[in-house]
Amino acid sequence: MNRTLTFAALGFALALSAPAFAGGNVEAGQKAAAPCAACHGVDGNPAADAPQYPRLAGQYRDYLEQALKEYRDGKRKNPIMAGFTQVKNADGEFTMTDQAIADLALYFASLPGKLGDVHDNVQGN
Amino acid sequence: MTRSLFTLCLLTATTFAAPAFAAGDKEAGRSKIYTCAGCHGVPGYKNAYPNYHVPRIAGQNYDYLVAALTEYKKGERDHPTMRAQGESLSEQDIQDIAAYLASLTK
Repeated sequence: MNRTLTFAALGFALALSAPAFAGGNVEAGQKAAAPCAACHGVDGNPAADAPQYPRLAGQYRDYLEQALKEYRDGKRKNPIMAGFTQVKNADGEFTMTDQAIADLALYFASLPGKLGDVHDNVQGN
Repeated sequence: MTRSLFTLCLLTATTFAAPAFAAGDKEAGRSKIYTCAGCHGVPGYKNAYPNYHVPRIAGQNYDYLVAALTEYKKGERDHPTMRAQGESLSEQDIQDIAAYLASLTK
């Protein structure tokens, strides 16, 4: 009986804990995402008059992670994104760590958005 | 009369003011995304080395899509497959494809 209860409690604890997989933490990502909102919108969907910025809400988590790392590491070049991702601390290390990137990517991927795959929209379907 | 016409022209011009990029033809774009679907049309499809999902592009913003495809076309954004695709596309193709994809919001 005690054992069953323990398992039940464990189950509840797991179910209620913040989603944190692949090293990402949604809540940490949400906090870190404040500066992103100016261009990408408060919910990861840019304002209608700002179509030059991509929608992030509902994008694949690992694609967002890849994109942020490419901006930080200089493989993908964009002056605005470089400004946010290439900040270094006094020790010369990027302040945007892999962990911070994982958190941000998980947060934006978790938001409801208008993005989808194109599979239902190819001519002939 | 002249004045009304002027006002009409002004209104029309304002209404159809070009965004940052000229508008594409989404119907033409519909028949140009066949190749895109080979990767972007497969839910869960992954890029190899490094391994990550290819992005969801249906419903993405028009200007961003035009900018991204143009960067690939010019070799300013580094992805071998996408560069090859971009090189094969005209500016008109890019605008048409972006217009169609942007119209696919969920």
